[in-house]
Amino acid sequence: MTAESQALTPVEHSPVGALAHDARGGLSNPVLGMLLFLVSEVMFFAGLFAAYFSVRAAAPQWPPADFGDYLHVFPLAGPATAILVLSSFTCQLAVWSIRRDDRNGFIRNLAVTVVLGIVFLVIQGSDYIMLWTEGLTLDSGIYGSTFYTMTGFHGAHVLGGVIMLGVVLYRGMLGQFSARHHDAVEAASLYWHFVDVVWIALFSTLYLLPGTAGGG
Amino acid sequence: MHLLRHPRNAALLGLLFIAIDVVYVVAPTLGGGHVDYAGATMLAALGIAMAFMAYVLASGTPHD
Repeated sequence: MTAESQALTPVEHSPVGALAHDARGGLSNPVLGMLLFLVSEVMFFAGLFAAYFSVRAAAPQWPPADFGDYLHVFPLAGPATAILVLSSFTCQLAVWSIRRDDRNGFIRNLAVTVVLGIVFLVIQGSDYIMLWTEGLTLDSGIYGSTFYTMTGFHGAHVLGGVIMLGVVLYRGMLGQFSARHHDAVEAASLYWHFVDVVWIALFSTLYLLPGTAGGG
Repeated sequence: MHLLRHPRNAALLGLLFIAIDVVYVVAPTLGGGHVDYAGATMLAALGIAMAFMAYVLASGTPHD
């Protein structure tokens, strides 16, 4: 076994044996770095959610009377959610494919994931245009600013994820990944799953949580 | 493998924060006080973040 291949040998008895490990059984640097980055991202989005819930609890009515009927699950937000959730499945299928050394399956599933991510962004853009036309803008008080800040930051993360997955796809098409060498795939998939989970929380909070007639 | 190094125990650390969070919300609710929703949100997120960190600590170190 060469030093290079030994350095990335998966450790079967490890509790996280499916993730890439170095020879001593620790996490690989890309996966470790991504996990630490995700910790900071959790707290970043927590700040946004905390601000939203604080503002919402303090408001006499939520949504404010002028914006009571703006956010709808259909026709855009609901399908966009389904698409993003589906993309997490295809992303994981890509990871499982490369773990089996199935490079065609990996490229196919990852390409579908990238396309689904782009479709999500297009739908979100359409939603923004529709809401903006109807009068919900960044200037629409605390309601508009919280909505666009939260969904906007998430959209930026989706864009970042699409770019990241695009780079991974490109590298995959060049044949740079195998069952032994695919740390970047694992790291990018962790990020994509995180972005998906954040959207589910955002969607549930912004679109599904019932409004309040009084304070709290 | 030592019990503490299993990833499900890392998740338990997060659940500990969630349990504190529940008390943080329920106590003022039952007492008729003001619920700090921002604090409750941050505590829940901290639980998730701490679960990640415990996971990294448990699995990111060499196995003996």
